[in-house]
Amino acid sequence: MTATDIPRATSPHESPSAGLPVRLRLEAVSKRFALPDGKETIALADFSLDIRQGEFLVIVGPSGCGKTTVLNLLAGLQMPSSGGVTLDDRAIEGPGPERGVVFQDYALFPWHTVWGNVEFGLRHGPAGRGLDATGRKERVRQAIDLVGLAGSDMKFPHQLSGGMRQRVALARLMANEPAVLLMDEPLAALDAQTRIILQDELLRIWGQDRPAAQRRTVVFITHAIDEAVFLADRIAVMTTHPGRLKAVIDVPLPRPRGDATRAHPQFQALSQHIWSLIRDEAYRATVT
Amino acid sequence: MTATMPIATRHRLLLGALLPIAAIVVWQAWGMAQSNQRVPLPTRVVANAIAMIASGDLPDALLQSLGRVFGGFAIAALLAIPLGLAMGRSRAIERNLDPLVESFRPIAAIAILPLAILWLGTGTPAALMIVAYAAFFPIVVNTIAGAKRVNPTLLAAASTMGLSPWATLRTVVIPSALPSIFVGLRIGLGVAWTAIVAAELAVGAKAGGGGSGGIGQMMFVFYAYSIELNRIVVCMIAVGLVALVLDRLLRAMLVLLLPWSKAT
Amino acid sequence: MTAASVTASRARVPLVRRLLGQPAFVYVRTMAVFAAVWAAIAVWKANPVLLPTPLAAFEAVIELARSLELFEHAFISLGRMALSLSIAAAIAIPLGLVMGLYRRVDAVIDPLIELLRPISGIAWIPLALFIFGIGNALPVFIMTYAAFFPILIGTIAGVRAVDRRLVDAARTMGVPMRRIVSHVVVPAALPALLVALRLGVATSWTAVVAAELIGAPSGVGYAVEWYRGLLMTPQVMAFIATIGVLGYLTDSLIRGLTTKFTPWAADPERP
Repeated sequence: MTATDIPRATSPHESPSAGLPVRLRLEAVSKRFALPDGKETIALADFSLDIRQGEFLVIVGPSGCGKTTVLNLLAGLQMPSSGGVTLDDRAIEGPGPERGVVFQDYALFPWHTVWGNVEFGLRHGPAGRGLDATGRKERVRQAIDLVGLAGSDMKFPHQLSGGMRQRVALARLMANEPAVLLMDEPLAALDAQTRIILQDELLRIWGQDRPAAQRRTVVFITHAIDEAVFLADRIAVMTTHPGRLKAVIDVPLPRPRGDATRAHPQFQALSQHIWSLIRDEAYRATVT
Repeated sequence: MTATMPIATRHRLLLGALLPIAAIVVWQAWGMAQSNQRVPLPTRVVANAIAMIASGDLPDALLQSLGRVFGGFAIAALLAIPLGLAMGRSRAIERNLDPLVESFRPIAAIAILPLAILWLGTGTPAALMIVAYAAFFPIVVNTIAGAKRVNPTLLAAASTMGLSPWATLRTVVIPSALPSIFVGLRIGLGVAWTAIVAAELAVGAKAGGGGSGGIGQMMFVFYAYSIELNRIVVCMIAVGLVALVLDRLLRAMLVLLLPWSKAT
Repeated sequence: MTAASVTASRARVPLVRRLLGQPAFVYVRTMAVFAAVWAAIAVWKANPVLLPTPLAAFEAVIELARSLELFEHAFISLGRMALSLSIAAAIAIPLGLVMGLYRRVDAVIDPLIELLRPISGIAWIPLALFIFGIGNALPVFIMTYAAFFPILIGTIAGVRAVDRRLVDAARTMGVPMRRIVSHVVVPAALPALLVALRLGVATSWTAVVAAELIGAPSGVGYAVEWYRGLLMTPQVMAFIATIGVLGYLTDSLIRGLTTKFTPWAADPERP
């Protein structure tokens, strides 16, 4: 069940993700939580979404709309109450290194250095199986260099700035060579300037100038619309209470993207369009 | 983090009752199998407890100990809170007095009991001194912390409204520091109760069973003179119950009087 | 304040005034005032048994140190504390880990803990005297019991407080649960664990004095009482001071360990 029956952006174009095989699929997924007073809350209702190979899919919505739940389901940290979540048509039964996660507050191990953090998944998880110490060392080195932190190997997280910590979280992820990257508002805790820099870095690390078949698949959550439009191939817009998919918008802005992209007229048009979709809900959230 | 899901309250109560009940049953069974008739048993403990309450011995002893605790506690609070506020608000005072506080803090109240007995004898004055000394440190330390952590923005707001230093102390510093002070009072009361039991026990041991009174001394008498192990256990349970009640009482007061504080 | 303005203001304060502000000097000054007041009262009371002069107390310390008696008792008490802490930690830390992680285990064990905890170690002394008699076993039992509860409670709290996201991060890397406990939960709970140990040390050091005062043939608590019986007050004070110093040193030791092993959890304000 693809998202063809849901409204799309107005301008005629070829969707950036057309023709790519589907990697991740959420099919008619619902998620209910029991509240401490015995009642139930519905975080997601009848949610369906396809995520295709090599695409950068961003999920946008007001606070509390269930975006994090979607991510947790894809990560395997939570199970759906009904419906199916699959990777390559196989049901997801738990977390695993092939679906790496970057959390909003980085979740770095404070007792490990940068090196120790990046190495962790290779040392203790299945991603490191078959690697000897030298092989591991190389992977870690590559990951640290990729995110631009060469020279900070021996520093501890509490000695790093927010931007640096986010890079470490990315490096830790990339060392495990995941097929899918799941990111839960990874740039939300950073100041506006750092955020712009890291958006560029993120696209570079992801490999935005490579063909889709050779790129990793990214599912990225944010509540910042400009961030979504800058990064995404497609944007899934969600509503809240309960969480539902409102629209899937294509973002045909050319790659590679950079500062010029933000001045692109279509950038503004897309941002306005998405804002118009969620504005009412955002307003209601401030008065209820 | 926990690795498992929360348990329903019903289940929790059932699971919770298992071990204590099992422990009592095992204790009873073991005791009945012993030849020594003095061995404490749950059944005998209960019987003795009833007897001691009915005769008034237990309540009397508890009240005597509690009286000393509250007396010493009040002295400690009256000294520690103003001092703590002063030390918290004035760097100079703190710097000068802190060496004294930090030098004596590691010396437990019970360690100065011999001095107290030397100066004040084995009766209530010495007991008050020990309790006051014991309760003093938690109260002063927490009061200092509370006074130091007053939100500077609140103080700035007060000064822009033209409040005098004394009024600022009364209307901003003290209310801000109250949650910390309460924590200090709660810990201090707990320490005071432990100290009085220890003091009465020690005095009972050295003064040969006469004069000091209180639950601690009663316990020692049951050990050294009448060898009533069941009664010792009754006293132990009483000590524990009182500690529990005092703690809960202060916690309840904190919630009642300072509902905005997160310092529970 | 910028670095420039700090150095500028420092230059304006004369050297002598700055020296006088150093914490070490203030410490000496305060204790000197204390000693002076003490000496004044002692001379006025003129009763060397009731209140010896600071000098007499100091001489007693020197004498006891020279005869090594001070150190004998100190080492005995410290040894007991080390043993008690080891036993208490060996039981309380693994138990606290399990209780913190698994709610069912906690539900079964916690009520018994909560029933026993309010009964302080000191309240056990009479019963323990009956079981163990006067000797080494009594203080060790009382101290182990006293240290057990703070360490257990602190460990449980530390485990519960471990950031769920750290565990999630390890899960998403496919790390098996057993490894997660040993390589994520334990390190993450380590700062809280060390705080619990500090509390355990303080509690058991209080208990040792009480236990030795009443029921041991050696140790600093015993020494204090022994000399009181002989009305040798300077010696009483010497041992009381020793108790304080040792309490401070053991606490500093654990605090030092905390800084060394968990540098990321350093507390800026002295607790």
